[in-house]
Amino acid sequence: MAKKKVFQISDALTEGLEETITAAHNYTGELRVDVIPIKRIEVDPENPRDLALKMDDLYHGIDESDPLYERKSDELRNLQTLANSIRDQGIINPIVVYKFGEKYRLVAGERRTLASLLAGRSEIQAKILDSKPNELKISLLQWIENVERTDLSLWERLRNLEKIVQTHAVKKGMLSEQVTVTELSNLIGCTKPHAMNYKAVLLADHELKELIRDNKIRNLEKAALISGIQSASVKAHVIDACLAGAVLKKLKVIATQDVQKSKPVHVKKQLLLQRGRQATAVNLGVTKNLKVAKTIIDSLIKQSELSYFSEHVSEIDWDSYKSVTETFKRLLQKLEELHA
Amino acid sequence: MAKIIVNATHKGGEGKTTNSIMLAEYAALVKRLKTLIIDMDPQGNFSGRYIRMDYDPAYKGGKIPALHPDYEPDVDINWDGRSSIANIFYGEEVIPYPTSISNLELLPAHSIKLQEAEAVTKNDVIEKVHLQLKRFLELPDVQNNYDIIIIDTPPSKGPLTIAAIKAASHVVIPAQMEQFSIEGIYGMLQLWKQESYYRSKDNPIDLIGILPNQVRDIKLHKQFLNGLCKMKGVADYVMPHVIKKRAIYTEILVEEASPKSIFELPESNVARKEYEGACRYIMERVLDHG
Repeated sequence: MAKKKVFQISDALTEGLEETITAAHNYTGELRVDVIPIKRIEVDPENPRDLALKMDDLYHGIDESDPLYERKSDELRNLQTLANSIRDQGIINPIVVYKFGEKYRLVAGERRTLASLLAGRSEIQAKILDSKPNELKISLLQWIENVERTDLSLWERLRNLEKIVQTHAVKKGMLSEQVTVTELSNLIGCTKPHAMNYKAVLLADHELKELIRDNKIRNLEKAALISGIQSASVKAHVIDACLAGAVLKKLKVIATQDVQKSKPVHVKKQLLLQRGRQATAVNLGVTKNLKVAKTIIDSLIKQSELSYFSEHVSEIDWDSYKSVTETFKRLLQKLEELHA
Repeated sequence: MAKIIVNATHKGGEGKTTNSIMLAEYAALVKRLKTLIIDMDPQGNFSGRYIRMDYDPAYKGGKIPALHPDYEPDVDINWDGRSSIANIFYGEEVIPYPTSISNLELLPAHSIKLQEAEAVTKNDVIEKVHLQLKRFLELPDVQNNYDIIIIDTPPSKGPLTIAAIKAASHVVIPAQMEQFSIEGIYGMLQLWKQESYYRSKDNPIDLIGILPNQVRDIKLHKQFLNGLCKMKGVADYVMPHVIKKRAIYTEILVEEASPKSIFELPESNVARKEYEGACRYIMERVLDHG
């Protein structure tokens, strides 16, 4: 008996057709990019980025009586590099806006917009959404646009993330705290360990959050470690060490030690004003002015412990950068030996 | 805005031209709409149904539209008397041809000129070709003179088809219920999807659907149609009308045919009822949307 014939559209083709239709439904208008006048762009008051600089400041200049004058001037200086590249090549990624009456409201790209103005442009490429994207999507877009940015503090990132988690939770009808690590990693597109750290920090207590807000703790891993410590005393201990500039490895050791048995931790107290990698040395700077160098060296050898060094100093060729540098290096070496 | 329906699929022999003809005649004869039809296919079959197409003396096998009825050699010294939709790609004037059906006007194909536009490869030129038809159809002269515009496309996914898609407000994909045809639907949906990414809400590109065409009473056709109707999301885009394989649909295309149009057959005729159902469905979808 002949086999009964069954004709079926292949699974691969079925899947392809279904995916295509779904994608077309979900992303209609997603790639609509146009050139729009910057004058018609306004910032979204909901945007969590905290630039003090306003578009008006670029149109009319920053008012010197403005209480934020210093900060705005700083921000303006920081925008200059971006403005230069925009002057040369335009913006690489279009900004994202949505229609708001006659205006366009920014979803992402405030810096690019300001820098374009600074570069003397009156128009900018923008991806135009038909309407305000839902809260979750807007936060996600802002997250994606901002995540690569190095100048966002941990606090700024957390605020952004908090909004994402909240909106997601509302949508799912649960509490923010119930959003799982997997959901979080899917939402913001990061690895699970990374999401785990974020989740831990989101659950941080008031004290820790204040430290993050004041920019005293800026490292996500460290903040996550501290947030996860149960014992108040251990926690206080780790925070102290962290503020003193201990590295993550050290903090982990402290966190796992019993406080009673642990030896006091010796970490150099440092002022933590700068962001970036932990400083482990003091840079004594560079000068082109030989008189400045001479003044420093002269005052150093006045120290009784270095007085014997004055012989060397008398041999210095005070007109030679090389000779002065050599002497200074030796002086430093001696000082380090003395204070070892 | 005049609605613009594009019949497209890059696979040949699916019934694009037949479907364009049926829609055009339904719009002009039954709905009495001011209809403009455009032939983007260098083969020129669609054009050939409504005006005489001459063989191109300069290009063997190519066709060019016959002299325009309004052409007066003594007066029109700057015009060779022929006009085709290909002119828009060369910055030349476009003059529609009247047809034997009142309300129905044609912008015919011109084989070599369309083929040259299709063969464009330089990026900046491609972009111009892509947008040219859209720009042309947006002209007030075009918009004010027609209620509906129906475009037939070549069996390709090249610049001419893309130009038609970019100009379209509605897309119909005629397809046989066979393996290669369904693969063809997939390819065409990609084009539609890609275009929909660029459209705003005020100016969407609506996929009216897949029109199952040349369907026979065989297991393969039934099961493939059934398969399409079961797919998630896709089912909404399978038109609830099926065009069967009937001799009349091809017989009516020959020159000696009488009557000339399906819509001149008695209303009770099975074939007329069948195609009219599909045309009505498409036209209602097109005209309902604002």
